[in-house]
Amino acid sequence: MGRRGVFLIKTAELKVLARRLLIVFLFLTAFFFILFSKVDSVVIETANKAALDVTGPVMQVIEYPSRIIHRIYTFFYDISHLYIENRELRSENKQMMLLQNKVRALEVENQLLSRLLNYVPPAGATFISAKIIAESGDNFTHILLVFIGNEKVKKGQIVLGDESVIGRVDEVSEHYAKVILVTDINSKIPVVVERTRARAILSGDNTMMPKLIFLRSATDVQEGDVIVTSGVGGMFPAGLPLGFVNSIQGGEITVETMSDISRIEYVRIVDYGLTNDSVAEKSSESE
Amino acid sequence: MRDSLSEKFNLFFIERIPLLSTLILMFISFVPMDFVQLDYFRPLIGLLCVYYWTLKRSDLFSYCSAFMVGFFIDIYSSSPLGLNILLMLCVTTITYRLAHYFQGASFGAGWFIFGLVGLGMMLLKWLLLMIYFGRILPATEAFFNYLSTVMFYPLIVLINIKLQNRFLPQEYVNE
Repeated sequence: MGRRGVFLIKTAELKVLARRLLIVFLFLTAFFFILFSKVDSVVIETANKAALDVTGPVMQVIEYPSRIIHRIYTFFYDISHLYIENRELRSENKQMMLLQNKVRALEVENQLLSRLLNYVPPAGATFISAKIIAESGDNFTHILLVFIGNEKVKKGQIVLGDESVIGRVDEVSEHYAKVILVTDINSKIPVVVERTRARAILSGDNTMMPKLIFLRSATDVQEGDVIVTSGVGGMFPAGLPLGFVNSIQGGEITVETMSDISRIEYVRIVDYGLTNDSVAEKSSESE
Repeated sequence: MRDSLSEKFNLFFIERIPLLSTLILMFISFVPMDFVQLDYFRPLIGLLCVYYWTLKRSDLFSYCSAFMVGFFIDIYSSSPLGLNILLMLCVTTITYRLAHYFQGASFGAGWFIFGLVGLGMMLLKWLLLMIYFGRILPATEAFFNYLSTVMFYPLIVLINIKLQNRFLPQEYVNE
């Protein structure tokens, strides 16, 4: 075997070695990513934001035709259900009119009582509407990716669906925000049972029905009870509706969200001035 | 000079078709589908494509490609960054080893092996997530998700074969 032959063999061996080293490096990188995710590293957050900004426009382009198909489907579906829906809306309207009168009376009463107690109301909330452009890419997690444009959104802000809280902002990039849904395993929200004022935690477990945990007694709750935020912890204001108690079986209490998460096209990202940044800003202003 | 440049560009593009097609198919699978409970049946397109390309064209689908696919799945989820990367690297390693034995295997055999590889990956992911979060996670949704992924295998194979025949001409095929 000539010198050239030996050189070629050595080069091939080196290539194999380099390939093996690369594989080991990639595996190690994955392990380090997991470890850094656990400690909330800035590097991981920056990488996430950058990747969202790069892939967001691609997702928007891909999402557009699917929306058109969905709208066509909804159009024909709505037409076929027009008569029944109209009848339901009429009866709902009658109930609403009665409720409206009650609300007006309560509002006047509230104003009078507030004046008597010298009550200072909290600052009004501001919100933006954002379009959902992607859903979870993973079967073990429940997230949404929304397009926020140039609006200012902060981590921790509350996300509302049609009727209730559906999650909170987890990550914000230049034009996109990642929303963690109440059904996600990472979601834990302090709540109260509206009827009994019993405190608990609404914990997502990656099913469509989050669970009520740390409830003092099972007698504090019954099927159909409304669950609202308690305001404990300061991340969520008190009294925002979340869902109804769906079932109580063997100490496991499942909650059905009021908003149908799988049918939402747009969400409202609300700023109640409760996120950490807002609190920090306010305190620095007061100083 | 220009010809050689365009040839190089073409070659570069052709070599990246497996990765690009995987990413595009994966992003399509992330599109919101406004039908009740469909989330459970959302197939793991990334897993299917990584398996297919590693089995059929491992020369064009490297570990770095698997890393990229895993990275983008992680970005579009709330699971810890790195978890899906790790799983995709594992799929690549296992499939790469199997490819030597099943290179000329029938479609049915490929499907069956994917069923096993997918099940193993789903179980591994379930275990890793339970360790990470320190709690028991329900497996029902993951199981339905796994079934839908296995059922989508023929469609993904069909798309990838079409891509392979259309864009990866014989001179680049070294099966």
